[in-house]
Amino acid sequence: MILGRVVGQVWATRRDARLGRAKLLVVRPTGIYEPAFDEIASGEIASGEIASGETAFGARHLVATDDLDAGIGDQVVVCLGAPARASAGGNDVPVDAAVMAVVDRAEIDLHALGAAGAGPGIRRKLTEAFG
Amino acid sequence: MIRGTVVGQVWATRKARGLEGRKLLVVAARDAEGRPTGRLVVAVDVLDAGVGEDVTVAFGSGARNVLRPGPENRDLLCDAAVAAIVEGAG
Repeated sequence: MILGRVVGQVWATRRDARLGRAKLLVVRPTGIYEPAFDEIASGEIASGEIASGETAFGARHLVATDDLDAGIGDQVVVCLGAPARASAGGNDVPVDAAVMAVVDRAEIDLHALGAAGAGPGIRRKLTEAFG
Repeated sequence: MIRGTVVGQVWATRKARGLEGRKLLVVAARDAEGRPTGRLVVAVDVLDAGVGEDVTVAFGSGARNVLRPGPENRDLLCDAAVAAIVEGAG
């Protein structure tokens, strides 16, 4: 899953019937994930199974279904790929991202991040994202 | 799976069905040589890993198997889970 923040919502009456009435939120991946987002969108990530749709290439945002009543400004955890599809109703549903949690609190240990080898630029960016 | 280091935790009361009460960790991914890739993954953790520990993270159906093994776990909204806490690597 990835962390992100809800920055908007999409309304659409004309939609694939299999989408049903699913609420569609616009989510911006948080902090450090953002530079690598093109790779998610194009599927060049650790597991092909969590790849998002190619149409999102370069967009730096995701459109995710939401059953948890998240709102604009909320920090969320987004699940990608097949489980998102399954949660939206089945394997034939045109969905590749779904909100799986609405975050109460997220903490990053900058010391642990430094010990993991993250440079000061990355740590600064995360401080901003999680501060 | 990938290797990574636990660098944080996420608390969320509102979670998808089947994930209630499950711990969510923030893991900084490492490449094959052990260098951080600059990428964070949120992973479900049932092994009680702590911040600073090295772990392996399973993706896809492997992640769902950590929560509930078997073919009937496709309804779980989860694509990443801690599969092992690493004590050593060669």
